[in-house]
Parts: sequence; C-alpha cells; structure tokens
Amino acid sequence: MLKLLATIASKPSGALGLGLTLFHLALAVLAPWIAPFDPTAQNADAILLAPNATHLMGTDTLGRDVFSRVVHGGRLAIAVTFTAAVIATLWGGFAGIFFGTVGGRVDEYSMRIVDAFLSMPWLLFLLLIISIGGAGPLTIIPNLGFFYGVAVLRVVRGAAMQVSARDFVTAAKARGEALWPILTREMFPNLSDILLVEGAMRWSWMLLAFSSLSFLGFGATPPTPDWGLMVAQERGLLSTAPWGVFWPCVALSSLIIGINLLADAVGKALGLDRATAVAV
Amino acid sequence: MKKPLLLTAAIAMASSAATAETLRIPHELGYGGSESIDPISPQRFYEAIQNVYSRLVRQGEDGRPSADLALEWSATPDAKEWTFKLRPGVTFHNGNAFTAEDVAFSLMRTQSETIDSPTKGVMEVIDHVEVVDELTAKVVLKQTHADFPLLVMDYRIKMLDAETCNGDLDALCESGIGTGPFQLVDYDPLGTTTLKRFGNYYGGTVGTENMELIAIADQDARVAALQAGQIDFIYALSAEQVPLFEGNPNFTVQSVPTGRWVGLVMNTQTEPFNDPRVRKAIRMSADRDALGKLVYGKDGYITSCDHPVWSGDQYRTEIDCARDIEGAKALLAEAGYAEGLTVELFVSDISEGAVKMAEVLQNQAKDAGIKIELVPAPSDGYWGDVWMKEAFFATGWSQRPADQILNEAYRSTAAWNETAWNSGDFDAKLDAARAELDFDKRKALYGELQKELWETGGSFIPVHLNTVRAFSSKLSGIEAVEDFSIRYEDVVKAGSGS
Repeated sequence: MLKLLATIASKPSGALGLGLTLFHLALAVLAPWIAPFDPTAQNADAILLAPNATHLMGTDTLGRDVFSRVVHGGRLAIAVTFTAAVIATLWGGFAGIFFGTVGGRVDEYSMRIVDAFLSMPWLLFLLLIISIGGAGPLTIIPNLGFFYGVAVLRVVRGAAMQVSARDFVTAAKARGEALWPILTREMFPNLSDILLVEGAMRWSWMLLAFSSLSFLGFGATPPTPDWGLMVAQERGLLSTAPWGVFWPCVALSSLIIGINLLADAVGKALGLDRATAVAV
Repeated sequence: MKKPLLLTAAIAMASSAATAETLRIPHELGYGGSESIDPISPQRFYEAIQNVYSRLVRQGEDGRPSADLALEWSATPDAKEWTFKLRPGVTFHNGNAFTAEDVAFSLMRTQSETIDSPTKGVMEVIDHVEVVDELTAKVVLKQTHADFPLLVMDYRIKMLDAETCNGDLDALCESGIGTGPFQLVDYDPLGTTTLKRFGNYYGGTVGTENMELIAIADQDARVAALQAGQIDFIYALSAEQVPLFEGNPNFTVQSVPTGRWVGLVMNTQTEPFNDPRVRKAIRMSADRDALGKLVYGKDGYITSCDHPVWSGDQYRTEIDCARDIEGAKALLAEAGYAEGLTVELFVSDISEGAVKMAEVLQNQAKDAGIKIELVPAPSDGYWGDVWMKEAFFATGWSQRPADQILNEAYRSTAAWNETAWNSGDFDAKLDAARAELDFDKRKALYGELQKELWETGGSFIPVHLNTVRAFSSKLSGIEAVEDFSIRYEDVVKAGSGS
C-alpha cells in the first residue's frame, strides 16, 4: 500500500489528487475543531457580509459564517457518497465478475437488463424514487449504490471476460473447481485494481449527483451545511454576494478533481489506462 | 448579401416594435398549469383575471372602496340592503351591455356548492340580489354587514357576462369575457397567455397594445428574466434580490407597505397541533423582529402576532407577543412534551421568504425543545398537493380587509380554512362584528377575534410584508399600491405607439 501511495505521489497530478482528497477528508473529520462558528447559527446583524477578518468567506442570507459552512459542507456528502460508492463497487463488481465468468445466455440476457438500466435518465428516476420514499440518506444511499453499481457491473464484466479467457482460469475449470472458488481465488484478485479505480471514479460522480440532488431540494435538508444546498440557497445573489456560491463550488470542484486525479493515478500505478477503458 | 441583411434588419425592427407594444408580466404557475380563467375558481389565474375582468368597486388611494363598475352605493339604516348604481355604457369584450342582471349573476354564483369557491364563505352573507332596473342592483343580505362594499372589493369578485356563462350559477365560466382593459387572445397557463387591448374599455384608452403573461415558476428565474429583458415586471422581490435592481437606471424599484403575509400553518385537528398549548408554544418560541430582519431585511416587514389583520387596517389590534422560551417550555410540558417535540414542516419556494422563514423558526424553536424537520416540496403544484393536505406547511396570502380575511381563513365553513379552525364561538363573533353598526364596538369585536387567534389559533404569522417590486424603467404609470390594485390599463411602455 505504501509503495502504491509512493508511486501515486511521484507524479504531480497524482500528488495533487492525493493531496486534495486527503485534505477534504481531513477537513470533514476535523470540521468541528476548524470552523470558527456554529455553521447553523443565524445572525440578523451580519447578513451578507463580504469576506473580512472575522468571516473569512463572508456570511450568507441568514448571517451564517460561510467558511464554517464550507468546512462542514462536505461531511454529509462524503459520508453518503462514500458509503454508496462502496455498495456500488461491491455489488456491481461481484455481479460483473460473475457474469463475465459465467458467460453464455445468463450473461447475454442479464446484459440486456443492464443496458435497459443504463439507458434510463437516472437523475429523473432517482427524483421519482425520492419523491415517493422521501429525501434523506436512507433513501439516497441505496439508490445511488444501485444505479452506479450498474455502470460498475458493465465495466467489470468486460474486464472479467478477458480474465476468464486466460489460462489459469481455464486450468482451474479443468481441475473441476467450483464456481465460487474460481470467482474469489482466480478472478477477484486479478480484477481488484479495476474495482478500486472504478470505485474511486464512481465516488466522484456520486458526489456531483448528491450535490445536484441537494441543489434541487432532494438531498440535504436545511439547515444542514451542504455544498449543493448552499449553492441553491444563495444562487440568486451571484451578482451581489457571490461568495455564498463561489466557495461551496470551489470546495466541491476541488474534491471531485482530486478524486478523479487520484483515480487516474491509481489506475496508472496499477498498470491500467483509463483513457482506453470502456466509457460507461 | 444585401437582401438577407435588409431582411434581418426588418425582422429585428418588427420584433422590437412588437416588444415595445407588449407588456410582459410573469405568471407564477402556482397551480401547475391547471389555472382557471374563472375568477372564483379555487385555481384562479389571478394575473389574467386582474386584467380581463372588472369589479363593482376597487380599492381607492385611502384604502376605502372607490368607484369602478359601480359609480355609487348606499345602504338602508340597518345595513342589510345595499344599492349599487352602475356605470352606464359599459360593454363586455363580446359587445354585450353590462347590466344589473350581470351583477346579480356574478354575485350569486359565488355561493355555488358545485364551484366551491374560496369566496363562498365570505359571500354567503348575501341572501339575494334584486335587479331594480338595468343600471341599479340591490343586494339584500342575510344579516347586517356594515362593511359590505369591502367584500365586493375583493380581487376575485369580478363581473361576468351572464349570457356568455349561460346564466348557470353552478358551473365554472371560462369564456374569459369580461369588461376589463384587456381581452383574452390566447389562453396557455403553462406557457404564454396573450391579452390585447380592449378598444371599448370604459376607463379610456389602455396604455399598451398587448399583454403577455409568461409562466415562470421559480422566483430566481423570474429575476433572471427581468435582468435579461425577457419580462418587464416582477412582484415580491426578496430582501437580497433588491440590490440587483436598486440604483440600476434600467429598473425602477417600488416598496409598498401591504397586508400581504407569508406564514406557517398548523392543522388544528391533527396531532400534535390539535393541542392549543403546542400551537402556542411554537408561536412563543419565535423572535419575530429577528425573524423579519433575517428573512425580509430591516425595512421589509412589520411584526404581527399570528393574526392576519395588517397594520394599515382600521380594525388592527396590537398584541404583545414577545419571545418567551420558558413559557413555551412550560406549555409543552403541560401538553405532555416535557422532553421536547419533533414535527415535520413542509415548505416550498411558493411565496417570498417561505423557506427562509421556516429555517429561522427551526433555529429559534430549538431553544424551546422543539425540533422542526424541514421537508422540501416542489413549488410546482404546491397549492394542490401540499397546502391544506399536510399537518404543518407554509402559506401565503395577499392583502384583504379584516372582515374578509378573518371570514375567508378562519370561518369554520370557509373553503380556505387552512388551519381547520372549527370554533362556533369564533363564527358567532364574526357575525356579531358584521352586525355591529357602532364602529368602536365593531373594532372591539374584531380585536377579540385577533386575540383569540394569538392565544389558540393555528397560524404562525410573524410579520406582514412590505411588497417590493421591480420593473423596467421603460414602464410608467405603475402606482405605489398593493399588487391587486395596480391599474395595468394606465401602464405605458416607452417606445410603444400609445
């Protein structure tokens, strides 16, 4: 692991990606100690103050400290999307390995179902589910995990088909090994690098998706400090008080860029080239 | 190359002239496209009905009724019979003459059980309408009502053509035929509804040739549209939106004290709000001045104590409703919530500041042990899907006189009784106030009703709003009056042919 990190950090883009990701994770964990104000504390005498020595990033329409809200703003999004990314990678990865190994009609029919899901406008579908089941992490996490897991499945299944054609898998089948040992002992170790990269990529996309949901009013609920929600609440003030929108955007973008650069660097360090991977 | 250039220039000039002749007003799409052109429909399309139809009387500069389709009115000494003398020579958009028959039809249909108009509860005071002659209508009331003309000043009590509506008192009339300054050309509440100047308007020449009512559901989108020159006018700017237009020579900003209010509603028949102690505890937890300042800016509001009678109304009663956290906690403990109370509040961007108000109350109420969980709801269709359906939700009302708003929102039989307020004693006092001919005694009765709402009602009305509107500097003739009293017929757009 240390060797992998060292390889990642040896390239500027990898170091930047790793640095940004670790910075945001640290910020999320240490937010209560870093933020100078309660992120939900309203102040009628400090509405829309421009950035100053007390409020480094200014204040919002309810007089709340934007810096404190930005520092706290990634906590929910990171927690929700990381959990969902793990779910997506686990179920999508396992199903992809299974179908890529089994092949045949089971694989053929299953992929048509996968194609059907991939053709869905997932954001609209997610909005429909949330409007029925209600907003909140308990609804959003399994749904993000499911929808993004479908894409993971597609990519991993392609890679699994290549691995399953290799000699050591053929030899294992010839030895009469059961399916489960083949999946876990032969296939999984040879696909774990792809799973890692896919998981990181989907995590960054989920962050964007969760922030989009919050922006639309279906993700985080007030007064939770959340980047997407902050942009939604302050978006009407871009020309008079842009700091309320600017800083959450910077925070969200830098985390997404960081994770993407990190995923790229991990892929390269493991000998995968995302540029030639199947885009889904 | 010359031809296409000339053609392009000609098209551009024609387009520019057409824009100059057209007043473009945003329409809030509050009923998600199911708006009705019938003024008494529960889904009334008020931006359209305001311009297509006229009232018997309208609000004058002093807030009292002034002449519109009725030139003068008088009452018998017991105020049970009101006679209206109508303006002669008025015609509907289809050429039919406006007569006392139309007055009788338009007033009596407000009581229809089938239509179930939100005006029904208020207008049920009418027993019948007698047509004395072509231009004289006598309204006979079931009971004395000293302020009856205030009721017909309502923005929905418009005069319809009885013939076009087939004289059917129990059916919606969606012909769009009125006597107003503009006549309907194209009805499309989901897109752009088009009106054109009515040549025979009794009020004289109408300032602009056309009016477009453009559906834009989101307030930020409306602001952007005004900035981009896609519309000419916008209602109800929030405190933080005002700086976008203030000081900009391309726009005029108007601030007007009004009786408009945005509030939160607790259904008094649903747990836990069926306990008046819970309702009052929530109200007592609010710091109204801080809330007003946070949500509407320091000049954007006047504090109120959970009754809908605004500061400019002759019947307003001042109440002390200072924040009392200990008192709120005590009431909650009495009601069985000593360990705290958690409630869900449904909010949407349906009226300016509604979501922010909910956020501020959420923050203030937690000091009293009340946890308010906000449930965001889409603004599209909010009035049909959430309002009066959930137990705790946001609302918004335009300005109405004391008698009308108290009857329309709190009489047990009213269609828009949003708090499900069911007090026979309250209804009896409403009747008593109407019957009282002595002003001071009448004022005292209305005062008791306001105090009762503060003590036990289901509304949270922390402030009444100053309305702030912005419009293109090309427009002139917009008086600093509340929204429903704007005379769009007097509005002129620079560059138009008028």
